[in-house]
Amino acid sequence: MTSTVQKTRTVGRGSRKASRVGRPHAVWALPAVLFFTFFAVVPMGLALYLSFTSWDGLGDPRPVGLDNWTKLLDDPRLTQSLTLTVVLTAASWAFQTVVALLLGVWAAGRQRNRAVLSAIFFVPFLLSSTAIAILFYALLDPNFGIIQADTLGSQSGAFLAIVFVGGWQFMPFHTLIYQGGARQIPEVLYQAAAIDGAGRYRQFFSITLPQLRHTITTSTVLIVVGSLTYFETVLILTKGGPGTDTAILPYLMYEAGFKQYDFGYASAIATFLVVAATGLSLVLVRLTGFGSMRSTREGM
Amino acid sequence: MSHDTLARPAGTRRPDGGQPPAAPRLRRHWTRRANPVAGLGAFLWLIVVLVPIYAMVSASLTSADKALTGNPLKPPTDPTLDNYNTVLNSGFGHLLTNTVIVAVAVVGIVLALSVPLAYVAVRTRDRWSNAAFRLFLLGVAIPAQAVVVPLYLLIAKLDLYDTLLAVILPTAAFAMPVSVLVLVGSLRDVSEDLYEAMALDGASPARMLFQLTIPLAKGGISTVVIYSALQAWNGFLFPLIFTQSDGPRVLTLGLFNFVSQFGVNIPAVLASVVLSGIPIFAVYLVARRALVGGLMGVGGK
Amino acid sequence: MESNRGRTFSRRWFLGAGTASLATAGLGAGLTACGSGSSGAGDGKTVTAFVYGDDAVKVQQAAVDRYNKSAAAKKAGGTIKLQKVPGSDYSPKLRTAMGSPSAPDVFFNWGGGSIRTYEEAGKLVDLTDIIADDPVLKSGFLPSVLAAGDLKGRHYGIPMRGMQPVILFYNKSVFTEHKLQPPTTWDQLLDINAKLKKAKITPFALGGSDLWPNLMWLEYLVDRIGGPEVFKRIQDGDSEGWGDPAVLKAAELVRQLVDDGAFGSKFTSVSYVNGGAPAVFAKGKAAMHLMGSWEYSTQLGKFPDFAKSNLGWAAFPTVEGGTGDVRNVVGNPTNYWSINARTKNKDLAIGFLKECASEAYARDLVANGDVPTTSNAKKLLASAPNPEYAAFQYDLVEKAPAFTLSWDQALGDALGTKMHTEIGKLFAGKSSPSEFVTACKGLK
Repeated sequence: MTSTVQKTRTVGRGSRKASRVGRPHAVWALPAVLFFTFFAVVPMGLALYLSFTSWDGLGDPRPVGLDNWTKLLDDPRLTQSLTLTVVLTAASWAFQTVVALLLGVWAAGRQRNRAVLSAIFFVPFLLSSTAIAILFYALLDPNFGIIQADTLGSQSGAFLAIVFVGGWQFMPFHTLIYQGGARQIPEVLYQAAAIDGAGRYRQFFSITLPQLRHTITTSTVLIVVGSLTYFETVLILTKGGPGTDTAILPYLMYEAGFKQYDFGYASAIATFLVVAATGLSLVLVRLTGFGSMRSTREGM
Repeated sequence: MSHDTLARPAGTRRPDGGQPPAAPRLRRHWTRRANPVAGLGAFLWLIVVLVPIYAMVSASLTSADKALTGNPLKPPTDPTLDNYNTVLNSGFGHLLTNTVIVAVAVVGIVLALSVPLAYVAVRTRDRWSNAAFRLFLLGVAIPAQAVVVPLYLLIAKLDLYDTLLAVILPTAAFAMPVSVLVLVGSLRDVSEDLYEAMALDGASPARMLFQLTIPLAKGGISTVVIYSALQAWNGFLFPLIFTQSDGPRVLTLGLFNFVSQFGVNIPAVLASVVLSGIPIFAVYLVARRALVGGLMGVGGK
Repeated sequence: MESNRGRTFSRRWFLGAGTASLATAGLGAGLTACGSGSSGAGDGKTVTAFVYGDDAVKVQQAAVDRYNKSAAAKKAGGTIKLQKVPGSDYSPKLRTAMGSPSAPDVFFNWGGGSIRTYEEAGKLVDLTDIIADDPVLKSGFLPSVLAAGDLKGRHYGIPMRGMQPVILFYNKSVFTEHKLQPPTTWDQLLDINAKLKKAKITPFALGGSDLWPNLMWLEYLVDRIGGPEVFKRIQDGDSEGWGDPAVLKAAELVRQLVDDGAFGSKFTSVSYVNGGAPAVFAKGKAAMHLMGSWEYSTQLGKFPDFAKSNLGWAAFPTVEGGTGDVRNVVGNPTNYWSINARTKNKDLAIGFLKECASEAYARDLVANGDVPTTSNAKKLLASAPNPEYAAFQYDLVEKAPAFTLSWDQALGDALGTKMHTEIGKLFAGKSSPSEFVTACKGLK
């Protein structure tokens, strides 16, 4: 990240002395790093190790080399599952980004009614995924629900239901992020645009959107990673069905691990997912320069 | 230099949404203008949010034998508090206490560890602190269900199995990546000039953290508080796998008292969801002002 | 992860995790103050029993309380502690616990495939000789039920809940209104379907989104067409058994029913667990419902009037040309208690299992609406909430030449889940009967 280096230098030049004095030692980060390493990275390492073994959870894991990985690549369900996961992620991103962005910008306004509505909008985020899935499973009942159709019995219906329920649940968090982001956009930009005669919509596209660039990145990374590991809703709403029409990768992983007790295979899928999610977020971060440490007023 | 002036640089609008004491304007501030089209959109979303919530509350007031037998949008004909009684009589208080302990501890750990990390990542920017930040950037992608079995072994090895700590520690660890991401975003918007001003006064990094960074980053911090509290409040997998007895049982597991092999007592489940949502909603209402208002103060320009 | 001999973790587990051990040393101190350590196979004074944590658990709790006060428990020197595991995640929870130091001594299971891997890992006490030597256990249970949970002819479990045969339920008022009789042959069933459809009534309620209700149709059809041996072969591990013509024929009959609209057009999103399918049935929108015997108590909870006066029950019909006995039953014979081979107090555990053959235990089950599988149950059924229904079930099971364990339970979670998916595809029209057979043969 060249930009980081350059920026750091520019910032440092003016007040080198003060900077050196006022900066904490990197050792401050150590407790967090150790804690996270112990409870997340080490288990992930164990999962990686397990992906090269055959283990049913009872005896000792038995090394099997690349068996799980070749099985994963040969699994006819992998292609379907991967496609579904990508489409689900893209659809969730589109749905959540568009709605959360608009709602967030709107909620950034200071009217009393907007504040009240934002508070209500937040409620779904307070409920657990399991509870939400149970609720919607009941509401989608074809005979006694709100939408009395064969929603979960068709691929498109089941798919849309999953995208919608996920969006319903996570929208508040992203709305909040956008709300915070929008409130930081400097007023002068709008004043200048107004003087130039820009209308509300041109202001939105030429000021608000560009200024929210980093907020969009943060939100996008969270949505993408979230969708890639999203399974409780699928488990309760569709069980991967109809047939295997909504069997996304995290669901396959859950099935392999907690239904079939093939922890070796489940670990291979998990590792694959982590690599994919990490790769994706790195690309996003790199493309948008989010990872750099420069101060971004317009960031969140 | 008093820390009040620092925390509220000139021109910063007050977080409570009061009119800024700025020069008179020709037009109303953009955030105060009405926007009927957007208003309509927000109203539609309000319906989308409220209908399922209404159906949930309504079903929780319906007796078990009448649930799911008619239009879920019709108000219950004979509202009853039976489901709430059932839930309250099945050890709700104990579950709530445990859940509060877990949530408070998780928030405490997450803040105590993430804030210094984010501070270092933003301020120090050497090789080590960048590496530390990147660890969490990558950590965002680790799904909890992928590591639950290895984690279980660690927990058992630490002799923490079936204790609240067995829930608290991993939950905190898995809430950290997003928290760090949010905090770094929030902290790096604290102006360099302010640090320099404090450095000239001879302030130590610790004093800067407590007197400058934390007050200015309270929006990010409130977001992290809410986020990690919710992770703790709604976590299911870790409590399920890492505890077994009634002692350390939390609310999400209590939900499953009403799920049997071949049926779900939907009204009781929903009553339990409503009851467990109320405390955290109260916290949210209290923290909301800091949450949004605080995010506002971050830019400070 | 753990050897069968002792309580220490295998070292191999921590290969490449040296940092973990280091950090453990640092973190381990001072963090354990928050609760009691692991229980499980501890000192033998307390024996832990895992049970599926639903409403029926009160019967087991009463048995534990009774047993802990008994002379038998005092003699064995300990008490039983019941752990109610949240229902829907019972299996994964049991699996993680069984591989760890906090494993239960006694645990609830479904027999058959649900305990196979535990047996293979040497984690179960073989109860065959213990039962043979003990008059209480030997004569305590219906033989077909005791046998249904077997593995390779050996007993590993003691029946501990009610019997759950699958029954053809029908809505009496709908049947009266359209002058129908419950079908005794497949042709009659098709005939009834045609009449009901003409009257715009869905012939059968089916909670297709839960997947397992679909399974019941195939279980009965395969039994009626080819007899219980067809599935027995599959259960014993021969996946070529799916190639039996009876399976294909059964799948074709299912396909035909689905295409005819026998389950309505939206059954793939109807749920049993949610109460959708029972409601459709009770309200007369559907005339019949093939379901486990728990349907009665489900209806009693949701539609008491319907359950008391309009719910009819019958055996599954014969299929013309089939070789299966019409008296054969499918479903869940019951649930079982099994004992962890590593328990420190086997006497205490076995004593507790004997408690479950007692009359007091059977009486509690009856009061809870269950039909016990104990041999002394028949005389107790008069006090059941619905004596007529209880007697019907008991006779059905007592007289059945074969009781086929639900396929998913018989095959175990690993295969069962994949089979559910294939059956879901067959019912949803996503695979043809022959594709279904091919897919099942490939399951492993």
